[in-house]
Amino acid sequence: MLLNTVIIILREVLEAALLISILLAMSRLLRLTPHWVSVSVIVGAAGAVFVGTQLGDISQLLDGVGQEVFDASLQLLICTLMLWIAVLLTRSFYLGAGSGRGLPQLMAVTVALAIIREGSEIYLYLSAFVVQADLLPGVLTGTLLGAGIGFSVGALFYYLLLGLPCRYTLGVACGLLALVAAGMSLQATQLLIQADWLPAQAPLWNSGDVLPEASVAGQLLYALLGYEASPSPVEVTVYLLSVLLMLGVLFLARQRARSREVGERQTDAAPMV
Amino acid sequence: MRSIRVFLLVALLSTITLINFLAALHGYRESMAAAQELFDRQLAATAQLVGKLPLERARGELADRGDIALQIWAEDGRSLLRSANTPEEPLARLEAGYREVNFGGYRWRVYTYFSPPVGRWIQVAERSDLRYRLAEKVVLESVLPTLIALPVAALLIWLVVGRGLSSLRDLAEALRSKRAEDLEPLELTGPPEELLPVVQSTNALLARLRASFERERRFSADAAHELRTPISSIQVHLYNLEQELEGAGWKDGNGALARLRGSIRRMAHLVEQMLVLFRTNPEHYPARFEQLDLHQVAREVIAECYQDISAKQQSIELQGERAMVEGDHFAVTLLMNNLLNNASKYTPEGGAIVMTTGVSEAGPFIQVEDSGPGIAPAEREKIFARFYRVGGDRHQHRVEGSGLGLSIVEHIAQLHRASLELGESRFASGLKVGVVFPKGHGESQGGVRD
Repeated sequence: MLLNTVIIILREVLEAALLISILLAMSRLLRLTPHWVSVSVIVGAAGAVFVGTQLGDISQLLDGVGQEVFDASLQLLICTLMLWIAVLLTRSFYLGAGSGRGLPQLMAVTVALAIIREGSEIYLYLSAFVVQADLLPGVLTGTLLGAGIGFSVGALFYYLLLGLPCRYTLGVACGLLALVAAGMSLQATQLLIQADWLPAQAPLWNSGDVLPEASVAGQLLYALLGYEASPSPVEVTVYLLSVLLMLGVLFLARQRARSREVGERQTDAAPMV
Repeated sequence: MRSIRVFLLVALLSTITLINFLAALHGYRESMAAAQELFDRQLAATAQLVGKLPLERARGELADRGDIALQIWAEDGRSLLRSANTPEEPLARLEAGYREVNFGGYRWRVYTYFSPPVGRWIQVAERSDLRYRLAEKVVLESVLPTLIALPVAALLIWLVVGRGLSSLRDLAEALRSKRAEDLEPLELTGPPEELLPVVQSTNALLARLRASFERERRFSADAAHELRTPISSIQVHLYNLEQELEGAGWKDGNGALARLRGSIRRMAHLVEQMLVLFRTNPEHYPARFEQLDLHQVAREVIAECYQDISAKQQSIELQGERAMVEGDHFAVTLLMNNLLNNASKYTPEGGAIVMTTGVSEAGPFIQVEDSGPGIAPAEREKIFARFYRVGGDRHQHRVEGSGLGLSIVEHIAQLHRASLELGESRFASGLKVGVVFPKGHGESQGGVRD
């Protein structure tokens, strides 16, 4: 039980921890107050328990695929918010904190939604074992191990991002956000395939022998890049499109911000008439 | 990084957790594999033991033990003996070795063994879930200490890091507790070699600062002092010149001598003010604090300045009550003198000045109000700057002054940790300057009202 629990908890915790560490590091870089984290964690945890208790009813919706569609919608919403955050981060970085108004609130909503999504899965999994006293020690130990590894990776990742020279932090953080968002859209695609809303196809390749998804490294790559050992063509397409969309929008936002920055500098330097 | 201690705690604990937990996971996997191997060996030993038992006449069914199953087959495939929880057909193919099979609603680990001496197939099976749970229970006992040790490790890291940072804390405390005028070198007992360059650099900086202050002090004092003598000499020569010219019957028709006299007086005043400004500098003023009644000091200052004020036909009034402060008598007198002179200087002839003393919620205060032109709010912050004069040298009221009076007031206020407040006076126009002293044990109120 312990190994299965570690894999499930690690998968959920790692995804949320990486998202929080990226946003928290950017928050520190842009000198935004980090109060939003505590608010979003509390709201997210409460929301996760609530959604966890309602998942039984949710799964009955839409001819029995309510949970898959609900989770996929949540993932896609989080992806969209992450795209928006990345654009605001870019603008704030080049044009000052004033141009990223509403950024802390947006980060709080995104993290709260991510915690609701991951936390409800954890709640569902753990609540199934509460009544099985003989399995509980293994499940609880696995939960602690998985959560410990997930949070530790998140904390070290946060300090790693803060340790980067400032000029690279934005690029690395936005690149990581693009990859995490693409990973989430890939998961949403998988959920929609499970719900038969998208066609099931034969996998393009299978790298499970080289890097099993169930290993710790596999889970880290799953959370960071959306690693899938045997992806179907539609999954690969969605993943690549998501990455390209994120990078394209970020590139445009950066170009616009930089041209505005240059314009403002020239205005400041212009002689008074 | 907001706190080195928090950073070290989180970074070290995360590293330890990550490495320990990954090691625990690896240990768990290995231990589980070893336990399964042990159970397999036990299963094989059981099968071999059964094979050696004299079971020639054994036929039929054994009682169901639940967690273990047994089947014995003849070489030709006939069932000789089986436990009640097994199906009638063989549990697995009759080939020697281990297999995983499902029956009776559970998954079983089956060992098939052929006993050559008796020519029988023995199949012994154990429930996989029970084997797994038993193994996990044993292995968890070795993983649990890793988890339990984590809070202990966190506490120890917190304490050890705190101890390691104590020198840094001592340095910060030494710097924080230093008074602004204290430029003596830092004295830390046995600073660690990592902090030694910081302490040495700080002490070198303090020494340079001390030398620089000393140079400035000497220059200001010497310059002002050296200027006094020639100015006095010029005043004497001017007086002699006036006498000689008067004796020779020359009249100062265009007022050149009077203007010269005024200029020399202004220069003398400026030099005196510079000396006072230097002397009242909080960094080197030798203050002697004592219990002072602001009301009483104000009364003395008014008496001293009354002649000049009445010469301008200005009215002066002292209001309020007794207000006790810990202060230097000379400095507080000088402060009030400057405030009153300033008010008189900028108030037109026939104007009014009111001094008030008392104790407000903020502390004991002295306040001077005049009916002069006042100061625009935008200019109020600037008037404490040295040599700053409202309206510049071309002041519309043609008031003489050095621009140092309020700088001296500010120095004395700093010396007493008092705050200065500027506002509009109670008159139609005019300035209100208030000095609020900090609340102290010396304050008390009286009921004297003038």
